Amino acid sequence: MKKVTGLVSISMILVLSLFLAACGNGGSDSEGSGDSNKVTAWAWNINVPVLEKAAEKFKEENPDFELEVVEMGTDDVYSKLTTGLQAGGKGLPDIVLVEDDRVQGYMSAFPDAFVNVSDKGFDEMKDSFPSYKTELVSKDGAMYGFPFDGGPTGVFYRTDIFEEAGVNAEDIKTWDDYIQAGKTIKEKTDKAMIGLDLNGDDGLYRMMLNQQGTFYFDDEKNVALTSEESKKAMEVQQTLNEEGLVKETVGWDAWISAMTSGDVATAPSGAWLYGSITQQGKDTSGKWGLIELPAFEEGGNRASNLGGSNYMIPSASNNADLAYDFMEFFSTNKDVQLSAMEGGLFPSLNTIYDNEAFTKEVEFFSNQPIWSLLADEMDSIPSVNYTGDYAVAKDEAVKAQSEIANGKAIEEALKASEDRLKNRIQ
Amino acid sequence: MAKNLEVIEQSTNKLTLAERQQKKPKKKKNKLKAVWMYTLLGIFLVVSIFPFYWMFIGATNDSSKMFTNPPTLLPGDQFMTNLTNLNESIGIFRVLFNSLFVSGLYVVIALAVCASAAYVLAKYNFKGKKFIFTAFLLSMMIPYQATLIPLFQMMSDFNLLNTYFAVIAPQLCFPFAIFLLRQNFLAFPTELMESARLDGASETRIFISIVIPSMRPALAAASIFLFMTQWNNFMWPLVVLNTNDMYTFPVALSSLMGLSYIDYGQVMMGVTLATVPIIAFFLTLQKQFISGMLGSALK
Repeated sequence: MKKVTGLVSISMILVLSLFLAACGNGGSDSEGSGDSNKVTAWAWNINVPVLEKAAEKFKEENPDFELEVVEMGTDDVYSKLTTGLQAGGKGLPDIVLVEDDRVQGYMSAFPDAFVNVSDKGFDEMKDSFPSYKTELVSKDGAMYGFPFDGGPTGVFYRTDIFEEAGVNAEDIKTWDDYIQAGKTIKEKTDKAMIGLDLNGDDGLYRMMLNQQGTFYFDDEKNVALTSEESKKAMEVQQTLNEEGLVKETVGWDAWISAMTSGDVATAPSGAWLYGSITQQGKDTSGKWGLIELPAFEEGGNRASNLGGSNYMIPSASNNADLAYDFMEFFSTNKDVQLSAMEGGLFPSLNTIYDNEAFTKEVEFFSNQPIWSLLADEMDSIPSVNYTGDYAVAKDEAVKAQSEIANGKAIEEALKASEDRLKNRIQ
Repeated sequence: MAKNLEVIEQSTNKLTLAERQQKKPKKKKNKLKAVWMYTLLGIFLVVSIFPFYWMFIGATNDSSKMFTNPPTLLPGDQFMTNLTNLNESIGIFRVLFNSLFVSGLYVVIALAVCASAAYVLAKYNFKGKKFIFTAFLLSMMIPYQATLIPLFQMMSDFNLLNTYFAVIAPQLCFPFAIFLLRQNFLAFPTELMESARLDGASETRIFISIVIPSMRPALAAASIFLFMTQWNNFMWPLVVLNTNDMYTFPVALSSLMGLSYIDYGQVMMGVTLATVPIIAFFLTLQKQFISGMLGSALK
């Protein structure tokens, strides 16, 4: 027995001494606590330069201000944020970027975890943002986040393919027109109209729901997968599929690649797609155009949203006041918001929409002024309820979509998904 | 597999004329078999090498080349551009050093801990030994998600967030390594230990000077395993590290995965760089690794 303890103590000493060495190396700079002029932010790649630019400008008035941006992947932000919140607000930053479809989930799962920015005076700026964005970050009439970028939608299309098929994109006013155009293109060029990941994502369906002013859930947060709007959206999608106008693209990369390589003619998507296609398809400059989403009936709403994000301040921040001041500046400063466009982000601050950056012609899009087209949409985008059950609902919607693509009747598939969803979120 | 190779070897051996005549039909059959075998092996080779090749193609081409149809299959000239961009985005040398430091330190300490534990469990008899060993094995079944938040809370309470201590400590006692080493230690002749004892060696001396040196293959196998575990470790470092300059390689790489824009040239370059140390580490210890994995059977 004595021998064993001897051995154990030796290894303990070994371990401890090595640990101390490890500590000495890395442990010096733990969290920036106590440093009252320093604000930390978590954000992903294209947002980092915008934050840094804002910090530089903010410093002109507040010379002591210091911003530390911790750059991480989008999903990584959520992993860290969720872990920190579940551990009771530990290790969190002062500012964190959260996407539109996640905001309500965080607000309902962690009710007191974020700073009420209305209390701090942000209500005054409310009118500078489209109502769908401010409602998204609100709970019981108070705002808990700063609206940042939006994803006004449109149909991105390849002008070269449209020309070859002799179709004029501007004539597409309704989804029926869109299907007709797709048929002509298929006939003339043998190319698919749209790339869809029928078993993986439901972006098109979500855009069409939003466009009709509804979502997975209605205004009262009831499950609404079997609504008339939902059926109509699925019908359009299924018609596209049945007519052979869909190219199956599994995952994001395949979808982007199908467009940049000219395998599909259009991509209904959010404004942020600009960033991806200009980077990933550099040699396709001048071959792109943009129209609004087709309406469901002549003269119907053509505005919708897909994606976008907001900044929030965790209540656990011990520098919340400074973080608020900085974020108020960030959100309402025109130059800062305009600089976001360089990375392909679409600011939701509406006081800048008359700026030259929005009215200019865009070379990549055959000199079409696409930004003003998207900006005009912002006020007509209906606000929707993502709720805290967004992820589960999306999962069920994708299941329904996949079943419909495999031949199940639309009504039946949606009903089944609705029932399952109700069960899952009880 | 070994048996097949033997057959092939035999067929190529020089044979006497008589034997050759006698074996002719069989030889033809063997040749056919070999052709078939090598084709199959060739296919497997291509399948397993291709991802690495694709990674290299990606690292030397512009991001947009990853999306062309037909796919780009030749190396491009963007190697330096990607490397510079990647360095600007994540600071390669810093994160590479971080990862090597964390993994290296981890291997050394974890090996010391696991080897001691395994030795005790293999060679000493005490009350509750079976129970402890079983508990180790059972702990392998607990998914890390279940321990993530309590561990995080603990590190936060100790004020250890954003330190390498927090990255390394929770996994030091690694059940699989203990199991692997214990199985090998079991085969160590107890008589040797006894004779050393008679010669007056202390227990520590026996362990360090007699047992450990003869267990090199097993230790090498365990250390490769531990190194890989720490090198690829992602979720835990992501959660406990809070500044970009503390990031380990996988965490830094993941920060390239933004929402709508990902530069695959940089990603592939990063992945290439992250793979090299593992390959180097494995090649150095390859011989020991294989014999160590075969374990006590070879002893």
